[in-house]
Parts: sequence; C-alpha cells; structure tokens
Amino acid sequence: MRETGRRADGRARRGGEGGWGGTDGYVPLQAEVVDIDVESTNTYLLSLRPIDDEDETVEVDYSPGQFLMVSVFGLGECPISIASSPTREPLQICVREAGRITQGMMAARVGDVLGIRGPFGNGFPVADMKDRNVAIAGGGSGFATLRSLINYIADHRDDYREVTVVYGARTPQDLYFTSEYGSWQAADIEVGITVDMMDASWKGNVGLVTSLLSEIDPAPGAAALCGPPMMIRAVAKDLLDRGFIEQEIYISLERHMKCGVGKCEHCTMGPYHVCTDGPIFSYDRVRDLI
Amino acid sequence: MEMIATTCVYCGCGCGLFIHVEDGRAVGVSPNPAHPISRGRLCVKGWLAADFVHHPDRLRAPLIRRGGRMVRSSWDEALTATAERLKEIRDEAGPGAVAVLTSAKGTNEENYLFAKLARAGLRTNNVDHVARLCHAPSVAGLGAALGSGAMTNPIRGLLSSDAILVTGSNTTEQHPLVAATILEAQSRGAALIVADPRRTQIASLADHRLAPRLGTDVAWINGLLNLIIEGGLADEEFIRERTAGFDALKESVSKYTPEVVEKISGIPPRDLEAAAAAFGEAPRAAVVYAMGTTQHSNGTENVLALANLVLATGNLGREGTGICPLRGHQNVQGACDMGALPNVYSGYQKVEDPAARGRMEAAWGTDLPPAPGLTAVEMMEAAKEGRLKGLFISGENPMMSYPDRGLVGRALESLEFFAVAEIFPTETTALADVVLPAASFAEKDGTFTSTERRVQRVRRAVPPPGEARPEVEVAAALLRRLGVPAEYASPEEVMAEIASVTPSYGGISYPRLGTAGLSWPCPDPDHPGTEILHKESFPIGRARFFPVELLAAGSDPEYPFLLTTGRSLFHFHTGSMTRRTHLLDRELPKPAVEMNPEDAAALGVRSGGRVVVESASGSLEVEARTTDTVPPGTVFFPFHFAEAPANLLTAADLDPRSKIPEFKRTPVRIRRLEG
Amino acid sequence: MTASLLRREGLVPLLRDLAETLEVVAPILVDGSAVFATWRGEEPALKADNPLNSPVEFFLPKREVLFRYVQYSGRYTFAEEPPKARLIFGMRPCDLRALEVLDRLFGADIPDHPYLARRRSTVVVVLNCTTPGERCFCGFLGSGPAAVGGYDLLLTDLGRGYLVEAGSPAGVFILQAHRCHFEEPLPEDHLEKERLLAGAEEELRGRRPALSPEVLKRAIEETDWEVAGSRCLSCGGCSLVCPVCHCFTVIDQGVPDGERLRCRDSCTLAGFSRMTSGANPRPSLGERLRHWYLDKFVYIPEKTGLFGCVGCGRCSRVCLSDVDRWSLLREGPR
Repeated sequence: MRETGRRADGRARRGGEGGWGGTDGYVPLQAEVVDIDVESTNTYLLSLRPIDDEDETVEVDYSPGQFLMVSVFGLGECPISIASSPTREPLQICVREAGRITQGMMAARVGDVLGIRGPFGNGFPVADMKDRNVAIAGGGSGFATLRSLINYIADHRDDYREVTVVYGARTPQDLYFTSEYGSWQAADIEVGITVDMMDASWKGNVGLVTSLLSEIDPAPGAAALCGPPMMIRAVAKDLLDRGFIEQEIYISLERHMKCGVGKCEHCTMGPYHVCTDGPIFSYDRVRDLI
Repeated sequence: MEMIATTCVYCGCGCGLFIHVEDGRAVGVSPNPAHPISRGRLCVKGWLAADFVHHPDRLRAPLIRRGGRMVRSSWDEALTATAERLKEIRDEAGPGAVAVLTSAKGTNEENYLFAKLARAGLRTNNVDHVARLCHAPSVAGLGAALGSGAMTNPIRGLLSSDAILVTGSNTTEQHPLVAATILEAQSRGAALIVADPRRTQIASLADHRLAPRLGTDVAWINGLLNLIIEGGLADEEFIRERTAGFDALKESVSKYTPEVVEKISGIPPRDLEAAAAAFGEAPRAAVVYAMGTTQHSNGTENVLALANLVLATGNLGREGTGICPLRGHQNVQGACDMGALPNVYSGYQKVEDPAARGRMEAAWGTDLPPAPGLTAVEMMEAAKEGRLKGLFISGENPMMSYPDRGLVGRALESLEFFAVAEIFPTETTALADVVLPAASFAEKDGTFTSTERRVQRVRRAVPPPGEARPEVEVAAALLRRLGVPAEYASPEEVMAEIASVTPSYGGISYPRLGTAGLSWPCPDPDHPGTEILHKESFPIGRARFFPVELLAAGSDPEYPFLLTTGRSLFHFHTGSMTRRTHLLDRELPKPAVEMNPEDAAALGVRSGGRVVVESASGSLEVEARTTDTVPPGTVFFPFHFAEAPANLLTAADLDPRSKIPEFKRTPVRIRRLEG
Repeated sequence: MTASLLRREGLVPLLRDLAETLEVVAPILVDGSAVFATWRGEEPALKADNPLNSPVEFFLPKREVLFRYVQYSGRYTFAEEPPKARLIFGMRPCDLRALEVLDRLFGADIPDHPYLARRRSTVVVVLNCTTPGERCFCGFLGSGPAAVGGYDLLLTDLGRGYLVEAGSPAGVFILQAHRCHFEEPLPEDHLEKERLLAGAEEELRGRRPALSPEVLKRAIEETDWEVAGSRCLSCGGCSLVCPVCHCFTVIDQGVPDGERLRCRDSCTLAGFSRMTSGANPRPSLGERLRHWYLDKFVYIPEKTGLFGCVGCGRCSRVCLSDVDRWSLLREGPR
C-alpha cells in the first residue's frame, strides 16, 4: 500500500504541481475547514486550509475562474468554483446545497476536513484583460466564481481600466457577499445589484441583470459572465450591441463532472471538455452549444 | 480474474451472464454469447447486476429484537429463537396461526425447502409468495383452461410468429430480452399489435396500437374474438379436435360488436378490426401478456379471455404460437413450480388430492395438512385480526410490494413473532423480531426457472459477506430444529429430492444443466426437456373455453382519476437492489406521478410541481410530471420508492379466484399542493 | 533475435512458464463462450471469435478501487493498491489499437495514473487475425486485421505453428528468457504470414467494398437520431463493451471508512450528463446516441489523430435493437 501526501524528499507538496494540487493520482489533498460564512439559507462560504500528513499548511496556487474537485469522504466528490482570489488568504469555496455531496459540505463544521484536488480548468484570461475595460455580470450562484475575479482585479486595480460589476439574484436573501460591495466600490469598481423579487426592506433595483446594464453602461472591452444560460445569452447580446466582441466575452460554464481532468467524459460539450478546455470559454466558441 | 457463468437475478427472461471476479469481489458482468436468450446481450439492469453485491448496507450478522432494539446475535441463537417461537405458536394456537412467505428471488431449492418447512415442519399449508401479486391469475386461469399455468412456448419461438399480440406488458422496460425478440420478429415481418392504456415504448413501435380504458380488457378481447369468429378466421379443426365449450363462448362474445367494445373500452372500431385481421389471418400468432392483464380484480377473467383467443384461433402447440405470461422475478416461475403456494405441492399437485398428499407424506415421512392455506394478502388480513400470529418471511418486502401498506403495517405489528431472511435492511426487516442475513444470487449455488420454464444454474461467484448464509442452509437448519430430517450436503442434493417428488422436474439434475438449462416438463433423466407445451394434447385432455363478461367498468365521482402502478426499466420492484446501484438510481432517482398535460392544466399543476394523491386507502405527497404517454383521466406511478410508496394508495381488493390485488386500477383524487 | 516460431504444442508449456512470474490472461472457454480471464492451464481458445469482453478491461476495469480512506481523529489516511503484473495473451489488433487511442487520451494533459500504472505493468501479446469475425470491420479503419507496432510480442497462426515477433524490449526478453520453447523460423514463414493477412484484409474489404470513414461520417449526419433513439432499449451495452469507450464515474462507499471506486459508465444513459439542478445538455436518447457516434468519428480523431472506433464489432453483438454501428453501415442512414 502506498500512502500519499508527501514528496520523496519529505517536503509537503505545493499546489499546482502537475496540476494535481499536491497529490498523485486521484487521491485528494485534505483541507481543514477554518471558517464558515453564511451567505444565504442554502449557501455557505467555506474557508479552507489545505494540509499534509503532518497537518502542515500546503500552499495551493490557482488563478481566478479555476475550480476544485471537492470531496466529502463517504459521499463523493464534485466540482466547486474557487470563490477567493489568489491574492488573498484563505482559500475559499462557496457551496450551495443542491445534492447529497453539497449537503455533506454544508454539514461540515470548523475543524472537519474535506478533500480537494486541483486547481483545474483554465481560469479567466486575466493577462489578456490587462489595460482593458472589464465588465463583469453574474446571476445566481454562478457569482461565486466571479468574486474571485473581482477581488483579484481589486488587488491589481492599476492593471485594468474601467471595471463594472452587475449582479442579480432571485430575492435579497439570495444575494452573496453583501458585505464586500462597499470594498469593491472603494476600489473604484462600479457595482450594480438587482433582485427578481423584492421584500419590504429592499431599497435597491428590481428586475433583470440586463436592465441594470443600461444604467451601468459598461464601456466595451473584456467581459466575464456567469449564470443561467438564459441570462448569459441575454447579457451577451446586450454587450455585443454595446460594441463588445464575441472573442472578448468570457463565459464560465458548468457541467456534471467526475474527474476534473478530461477523462471521465461527463462534462463534454460538443468537442470540448468543460473541465480542461474550460470552464472559461470565449463566447464565439460556445455560442451554439449553451 | 475469473468469469463465473450464472443466471441474472432480475427478471424472468433468465439471461445467462458471466460475473467477473477479481480477488474475491464481483467487479462486473458481461453477457454470455452462447446463451440462447441473451445471445451476448443484456438489459441495463443485467449489465449492472453485480453492482449491489458488495454494497456496505449488506446484512452481515443475525439480529434479534431485544428491548425495542435490534441486537447482533449468533446464528444458533437466532435460529433457535425462530424455531422455538414458531413451534410454540403452532402448538398453542394451532398450525393455522403460523405461515411462511417464500422468495420469488430465492432459488428453487430454497423455495422447496421453505414450503417443506411450512408443511412438514409447521404442519400448515399457509405458504405463499409474491406470485400472488402478479401471476396468480395465470396459474388459476391457464390452469383451468389448458391444464397448465405456464408460458406455453419458448421466447425464441416468437421469431417464427406472424403476429404477436402484446397486452398489459411494458415489454421493453420489464422484459427487455423478450422485447428485443419481439422487435426482431417484427423486423422479419411479424405484425405487432400492442394493447395498453399508456403509450409505452413498445406501444409506440407497434404496427397496430389499441388504447383501451383501464380495466376493460375482457371487452376488447371478446371483441377481437367476435370479429375473428364472424370473419371465418377461427381454427375450426383445432376447436373440434382439441377443445370443449366453444358454442357457449361463441354465443357469449357475439354481444361484443365493435360498437359495444368502443363504448366500454374506447377503442375505435377500425382499430379493433385491423387488429383482429392481423391476428386472425396470421398462420402463427402468439399472445404475450403481463401485469396489465393480471393485476385486476378480474385478473383471472382477463387471462381466460386471452386463453379463449388462442384456443379459438388454434394458436397452441406449434412453433411461433402460444400464450406467454411474462413472469416478473427471475424465479417466480420456480417458486410456483416448487409448491410455495397454499393449495399445491411442487409440480402443482393439489394438497387436497389424497393420492398426491399420500405421495408427499411418504416422501417426507410425516403427515401433512389436507386443507389449502391462506394466500399472501389473506395472511395480512388474518394477522391484523389476530388469527395469524407467527410468520417467517424469506426475501420479501410486503411493506413495499403488497397492496394497502397501512394494512400491512398493522398486520406485521400485530404478529406475536416474525422473522425475515434478507440481503439488505428493508421497510419489512425494520419491524421484524429476528433478521437473518442471506446470501445474494452471486454467493450461492442453486437453480432458477425462467418465464419460459427454463431451469438454469445459478453459481456462487464470491463468498457471502460477514456471516450471511445461503437460505438453503437456513431452511434446512430450521427444518431440523422442528424435527424434520434435512441433511443435504449441497443444493444439488436438494434438487435430487425435488426431482424425485416432482414429475415435471423428474429429469432435472445439475450435470444435465448446461448453458441452455432444461425446460420442464422433463420427466426423466433421458428426456431432453420440453420447449412447446400442448403439442399433442392438453394435461386435462381437451382445453376448455370459459366465457367471461365485462359489465361496464364503474366510476367513482369522489375519486375521478384512475391510478395505475407499475415499474421502470431502471429499477426492480421495491428497489432494494437497484436503488443501491449507482448508475441505475441515477437514471431515476426520485418518484414522480405521471399525468396527462390536460389533467395537469385543469388542476393548475406544472411539471415538477407537487401534488397530493388520495385514495380510500391512504394519501401521498409527490412530484408530478406531465407526459402525453398517459391518457387523460389516468395517472401512472412506479412502486420502487420507499419515500413515496405507491402501495399506500392501493387497496387489498382481491380477485375472487386468484386473490390477486387490483394494483392496476385504483380510483384516486388529486390536488395541487399549496405552498 | 526478434522473430521465432512456436509450435502449436509449445504454446501451453510457454504459458505455464510465463505464469510463474506473471498472471497470464488469455481467451479461455467458459460455459460455451471464449472469454478473457485468468489462464488456468487449459488450451487457450484462439480459434474462436474475439471474446465479447475486451482485454482493455484489464487496463480500465469495470470497477476498481482508486483508494481506501480511513478516518482517525478527524483526519484521513489513504491507501492505494499497486496493480498486478500481468501478461495478456491473444489480444487482437483491434483491441491493441484501442489501447493506443486510450494511451493518447489518458496520457494527455493531466495523466491518468491508475490506467498508466496498469499499462506499465502489463505485457501485451497480440494475435493477428487471419480469419475475421462476422461483425468485424477493422480493415478500413486501419486497426486490423494485422497489428503494426505497439505490442510486446505478435503471433500469427501459420498452421504448423505461430510466427512470433518481438515489438519491444520486453518482447525480446521473453523470446530470449524462454528460448527453449522457440525455434528459428523459416523464410517462408514470413511470406506465409503476409499471405494469410492479405487474405484476411481482402475478405474484410470484400464484405463492405464501399465503406470508408467518409461514408460513415455522412451516415452519422444523415441519420434521423430521434428515430434511432425511439428504437434503442437503453441497455448501455454498446458503450460498456466498446474497447475505446472509457467513460467512468466515481463513487464513495463507506462511512467513515470506505473506498472510492471508479466504475465504468455510459454516455447513452440520461443521468450521465444531467446536472444536479436537473438540467440535461443531452436530454433525448437520440441526442446521446448521436454524441456517441460523433465522439468516435469526429472528436476523438481531432484529439488523438486516431479513430475512436476500431471496428471490433462488439457493439453490434450486444445491441438489443438495431441502432448499432453495423446497421448504420449496412443500410446507411434511415
């Protein structure tokens, strides 16, 4: 039997080596849950500390838009976007309860361990976006992956020109990261928030993300979108009308995944694997596939 | 890696397959190209048949209820407790107060020994199994009409048919290998006629589709008969030489004109006429049927109507003809053959017949009770009323599969003692006093008998988990504790005893069971087995026509919808195996009641929304799914899901002749669930 | 030396010697059919058709334990089992080609260690096909009837014995280490091999003279996939038996200790692509069947340069209906 977690020279593995986040084969790295933030009734933001066999912290390198295969041992493994920016500690994932495995993640308490493999996927092309205006638009739970990009941009603010964020959720209770909108605005990022259905306390916008776009009026450049297919199509069309080009509109897609490394074939979309060719695709490549 | 040749555990097709064994674990399955039915093919459940074997939920140790909790015990303690308690109840309250339910998933050897346990050990004829819930009408109906209740022709014979009538059978989902054979016959030119209220896959592929209202089969079958007789398509020579009672039949069906049939069943006259022509004109025609025919309060009459049809057209005793009840479980045919029934010994020898009883008494060395016992659902009634006090269940889950779950729950809880032998914890083991861990099909030797009377080997591929044992050993151990000699070195020796007392199995022995097994009747060791029944004569001499009538089906204004329960391709019955098979459960992970979009719109229900379905027996909250495969006024619900047990809604309305419950037609009302 | 002759009667003694250090897997007869299983000393069933269970199964098992997990004080330890040293005897060129396709898919980008570990610990002895099976159509796909490289040893049945050629250092090693079983081949032996294989190739082409990848691709485009889907009985057999198919799923069994299992899966099943939300990118059977064919004849060639179909014909042997490749080829699109 071969036990894993350490390199032959005894040092803990660093994340990103060989793309396996510090482990060989399909054996995950363990990650201790160090904090839990409640984003909504069915969504938690889990802060993780990846560890080796000796409980030493392992650094995991990643870029915004990448994802991890997260394990709850005994229930299974599924893909979760990384919600934190690599410029900040700790590593964070945003988990929405959808099935048995995410239910298991939501039941984790501080001190429990999950398993992680990765980071996988191609991430947003942050280098190509430099010196460009960046319009970010998200709907629903997809906004978690965009948060990684927003905080990354905020921490490299001078590399980017006009940056706008437009985000919509079903109800005010479903909005994520509400405590951070102020810090984004302080970083000279224009933020527009909307909900489909308001409640008595809501004083903000009501309506679709596309209606906010006319208010925010992003200048053409790069765009990053994540959300339900209908929202993506509507927002992409709106952006194209504003002078954005398809090659610079980047969509983060999701699919059922079981390996994260392009082998199990669950995430195939036409000729692509969403896990290795994506999850970030420029709109011209996937317009007819989503 | 080893490849162990065995027979699939799921349905009555009886496919031969290999279990792949690596380091003592079953890791997969592949079909056997040399097997006459599978011929290198399997259905999705067959391909995944080994996946549940090593599931962590497998029962591994005997359990006894102590102080309200199930506590691990030894085999000796558990068997002794079981034997002692049943003996006590038998001695104090009489043999009528104890009963045995055997498993249609168990081997022939196990079924035979459990029937012997009831009769020789507990001195009761209260022995039954789930054939009561599925093909009891076939046994009763075909037994009366033809002298034998079994499928008359082999599955592959359908390739020679010129017309095939499929009724009450969702064949592509329940008997995929039979469906594959039927579709192959169709591609060779056979006319496929399918009758089903729902537009199932096989119905959508039919050449002629009949869509009768639920419960009106007697009407349209009589209608077909009438058209065939009037059209001069009846086989007069066959009728004259080999049957009795035709004139009364002809008289009786003459009322069922196409117009009358349309009024009762909703089938348009031209559809009926086309089907009658296709069936009547075919030189060789076969009838294939299943639960849609039998699971009615007039199930026996439905079967008799079909028997009338094949008799009148001379479609028996020749290749490509026949009447084919498709048995559900892989060994429900065998369980019936082995006499796990309250009124017959193995080989359908009647307990009331002094000569048959005398032979069995001589063979078993003990007196045997002469009066037929209780049937399965009657046992539940008797338990609820306190007349039945002790029960042994082998591999059955009445809480999920019997009608009127409320009744079953009360019944089981009223028993003074009941024990269950099982492979997984179920809704029934949860209520038991003793739970015995059993070996699965991959972990024991024995035989299964498929729907076409084919007796085949099942072979042990891996050891059972923990302390689980093959039930043939459990039955023998209980028999010995009840003072009945039962020393068998192996299941093969049990089959030798079966062959010695069962004429139709007289020539069956393990060395003779090669890849293709042997089809009974196989009366002696040189007999090659019998593929086609009734070639020269019927066991009763002449076959009998039984006229049957259908008054219009009633309707209940309080319960304006009709619920029909059934199955899915991806699950098997109560789901204890398939819901623990990842790929199967993933296909159909949760229950939903299927309803026509018109009905959904009228109720204000969207597909995916929740509804309350209520019957006189109980009520259920469940997701609704709209589909146009179900006609307006009818809803369909599979019974695989413990979280929404369909049998909460069904009633224990029994067919008077065969005692089968009316699973296929339950009046219900439906409303949208608010909030 | 790199080529030898093995007399017929020398085959079992050779296998016996090899079985002393490796688990030998060969086609053997079980219950009337030839299957690939652990060899136990009997005469291998080499004259029979290619067994229905592909030897690729020994590299990508139907079910394997990726690792075991054991929990202690809130932390886990993991244990993986190393693969067995094996020799597969009697693999056909089509299945060998399937391994080559899988090498390119599973060796690419982030490599799949369990598969590659099995590749490294398995010796592959291939048998050329001199009498094609009824459903075989390897010829025009370039995957048979003869193997060209990629084997450790290659056998061709000449009648009087087998011409044995080494294709790798491991093959050369076996010829030398077990030289007592072999003899020098005659020059005619190589000619006889060419003659037999040319005959087999001609027979394959003769069955379907007009067949070509282009014809197949057009057939895929023109088929009415919804009609094909309406006749499919959803058994999944085609994808479970195909030597190139490699879809898998991963499941955990056991809490708190247990195993993470990798199990073969099938893209023809509805749940395969369905997401937890319930949305399904390929909701109809017709779409899933079409995707399966496109993957074989368009996507895999784009990724690897090789066809994703090796013409072994197993899919048509297991099909419960008539949506298999064989019908697609035989009658063209419906």
